[in-house]
Amino acid sequence: MGSVRMTQVTALVMRAVAAGHQYGFDVMEACGLPSGTAYPALRRLEKAGLLSSNWEDEQKAHAEGRPRRRTYHLTREGRSAMPQAEHKLAEARRLLGDLPEAPVGEA
Amino acid sequence: MDRRDVWIRLVGLLVPHDERHDWIQEWRAELTVSGGGMTHAWGAVSDAWYLRTEGWTMDGMLRDSRTAVRGMVRRPFFTALAGITLAVGIGANTAIFTVVDGVLLNPLPFPQSERMVSYNHEAPGLGINVPLIPHSEGTYLHYREHARAVESFAVFADANVNLIADGDPQRLPVMYATQDYFDVLGVQPALGRGFVDGDDVEGAEPIAILSDGLWARRFGRDPSVLGQLVDMDGVLHRVVGVMPEGSAVLEEEAWLALQIDHTSPEAGSFGLIGAARLAEGVTMEAADAEMHELLLRYAQENPDDFPEGALEQAGMDSDVKPLKEVFVEDMRSVLWVLLGTVGIVLLVACANVANLFLVRAEGRIREQAVRTAMGASRADMVRQYLTESVTLAVGAGLLGLLIGSSGVRGLLMMVPADLPQALHIGIDGSVLAFTAVISIVSGLLFGIIPTLGRGQNDLSLSLKDGNRSSTGGKERLRARSVLVVAQVALALILLVGSGLMLRSFSALQSVDPGFDTEGLLTFQVGLPSSQYDSPELTIDFHRQLAERLAAIPGAELVGAIGGLPLTDTKSASPMESTDRPVADGELAPLVETRQATPGYFEVMSIPILEGRALAWSDQSTEYRAVVISETLAKSLWPGESAIGRQIRRQGNEESWEVVGVAGDVRFDGIEDDPLPLLYEPIVRGTAESPGLATAMDIVVRVGGDPLTSIQAAREAVRAIDPRLPIILPRSVESIVSDSMQSTSFTVLLLGIAAGIALLLGTVGIYGVIAYVVSRRTAEIGVRMALGAPASVVLRNVVGQGAVLIAIGLGVGLIGSWAMSRTLASLLYGVTATDPITFVGTAALLAAVSLLATYLPARKAARIDPVEALRAE
Repeated sequence: MGSVRMTQVTALVMRAVAAGHQYGFDVMEACGLPSGTAYPALRRLEKAGLLSSNWEDEQKAHAEGRPRRRTYHLTREGRSAMPQAEHKLAEARRLLGDLPEAPVGEA
Repeated sequence: MDRRDVWIRLVGLLVPHDERHDWIQEWRAELTVSGGGMTHAWGAVSDAWYLRTEGWTMDGMLRDSRTAVRGMVRRPFFTALAGITLAVGIGANTAIFTVVDGVLLNPLPFPQSERMVSYNHEAPGLGINVPLIPHSEGTYLHYREHARAVESFAVFADANVNLIADGDPQRLPVMYATQDYFDVLGVQPALGRGFVDGDDVEGAEPIAILSDGLWARRFGRDPSVLGQLVDMDGVLHRVVGVMPEGSAVLEEEAWLALQIDHTSPEAGSFGLIGAARLAEGVTMEAADAEMHELLLRYAQENPDDFPEGALEQAGMDSDVKPLKEVFVEDMRSVLWVLLGTVGIVLLVACANVANLFLVRAEGRIREQAVRTAMGASRADMVRQYLTESVTLAVGAGLLGLLIGSSGVRGLLMMVPADLPQALHIGIDGSVLAFTAVISIVSGLLFGIIPTLGRGQNDLSLSLKDGNRSSTGGKERLRARSVLVVAQVALALILLVGSGLMLRSFSALQSVDPGFDTEGLLTFQVGLPSSQYDSPELTIDFHRQLAERLAAIPGAELVGAIGGLPLTDTKSASPMESTDRPVADGELAPLVETRQATPGYFEVMSIPILEGRALAWSDQSTEYRAVVISETLAKSLWPGESAIGRQIRRQGNEESWEVVGVAGDVRFDGIEDDPLPLLYEPIVRGTAESPGLATAMDIVVRVGGDPLTSIQAAREAVRAIDPRLPIILPRSVESIVSDSMQSTSFTVLLLGIAAGIALLLGTVGIYGVIAYVVSRRTAEIGVRMALGAPASVVLRNVVGQGAVLIAIGLGVGLIGSWAMSRTLASLLYGVTATDPITFVGTAALLAAVSLLATYLPARKAARIDPVEALRAE
């Protein structure tokens, strides 16, 4: 477990996960970030213990006719770091004005 | 598997092993679900790269390199040996690259220099060896009026004038240029004005524009210099401007207006080099195409100078190319060959250091096995190895930079050409970048070799028994064998190259230039045409000078000529015989013409084959006698005597009588065939236009070292005219050796490079064979205990080395053959695939290499079986 420096990117990714986007590509689309940016952020957050990942149920995926996907969730530490992430985003919005809004509350 | 799958598996190889499986699963699923396009697929690369480099923190790297440095300090001998080997290789590359960068890669230091072009002609059909055909006054005025593709166009000629200030004559390099010259350069005067409209018209007031250096040195940066009159070659020039520092292209210290007769320009004498600045947005090709059209038009409009078909016969055409090429052309092939050479030296050095690292790796098998057991991955180990090698290489690079920067200074002193002063040759950003890159690349190169072919199994095995029979040893032996082959091959390529250059050099040395050089002093004297304006004055000066010089103790003979052989002077005219004039529309052969005094032939020991030499009585406007060279005589009157025949400039009325035929001399270069030559008197024209010689090379035969007589020569000139300096006093011998300088320079550097490669290669071979012997000590011991005679052991070990050497020689011969074309342009009197050189150098290398294998083999043959077995 390490610590992670909260940046706009990690904050956006955390908010997307908090909002219920659990697959890597969903997070990426919700944040409006390219995959090459979103994924390393996911890796960093997981390594820092703010996120954890699981593999979804084989049968469920099979039923839907697709391969198993990896899912990401906030950990307890992640949930307690959310205010910090929101703060970062607010600060960024103040400085830059227009950041992509991660849709909140609809998974 | 579809394409996406292949891609993800491929990229997945970047991901650390323990995460790879999950990573591939995840990306495959996401791409399948999203029907992912290529943008996402590229994202996978970033993700994989992130995971690969995650552990590569600055901390980790620092820790690794600290370990590496500590390791090096503990092994000072190893570190010094490897470090110095590399530093020499890197230093040599840095030095040569600095010159390549400054001379070939850097642009001329003027604004938008990519638009500065050489605007001249080519004429391959003339068969004379010149890089370009410049302008006549006529072509200059024509292009200047009609060319639209260029924003400004000027012609120039460099010269030396006698600057007389404070009663003390000084030789001053100047540039005569037409009015748009500074617009071509794109520089503005720092003080006063540059050239303006009308400055270059014949009859305008002579003006001078000073360089910053001359202004500071002679006028103490006094702004009131503007408007002053200075005496140059006896003509008063009004100073109108001062140019800022760095305006000189060559080494000129002042710019004088090149005055041209605008109403009836001289059309047939091409001596003015053209430079132009392309108009905004115009390409060189477009400017060339326009110039081509303009040349055709000019030829049509001037049928006297360009008779029907003359352009076609000469193959004369426009030639627009980067301006810098005019100044650096003759350096190009030499520099690239040298850069290639030092590149090979660096490769040999890397092979050697790789060898050293292999030896060291041998001693570290157990250490690594332990680290592996404790969880270090193979990647960790490779990283540790590479950190060590790169750290060493970076240290060697710093040392190499020192070696290189002092090497550059030595190199520039030996460089065989007058380089444009304007070019900056020194360590700059690109040189630093180059050194950094070659250091790191060589670090990776020799660092990766010891890590090849080392699997996990190998390491766990070695932990178990740690003896010398582990399989990894075989892998490394193979790596070392490859290194030996590479070293032998590379060393052979360098040896063949330097062998070919050496043979060229000795061929040049045995060329007979056609004249004697021993004990000859030469210097130039320039007679200002404003003072020496009559045949009497000119002849009188030279007669007096001949007498006074002959009076120098030890001096015997004196002569003078307007341009000595091998001094790069050009003055060619189309000549024809009056009894067999060239048909209309054909160009007569170009003949180098030189004005000479009667003593010239004798002092230079040029034999008069037929007839007589020039006499003082020929030196008048009344009597018109010339001496021609054997080549010219044979081409004009094959099989007949030339004496008494008449010869003239093509299309001219006046003709001269041939009174003598002189032996041929090498004129252009010692390696070029003799040119047709015509020696004229120093007064060659008519009474109205006497055609007086101005700048002359005086030659004096003195006893002993010619340079000891310089002072006496100076006094002799001064006694006749105190305003005349003597210019460029030197021995004729040095002129001949200068003309071979380019070859001797290349011979020297290639020789040094080949020597280093030979030494390193030999050490490398010795190291490998010694290593093989040490590994086989036990086996050899057993064999000998079983009765194998020492001679069999010896043959066996040498044979092992001989196989590698033979393969290396084979590869090297093929490599040399492939490289021979690159070298061909630098060779003389030997073909690039000369069998004697190829076989000779291969034999030399084979002998030295076999000696390197013999020494350890002899040691093997002396092994005491009992000792050997006990050691196991």
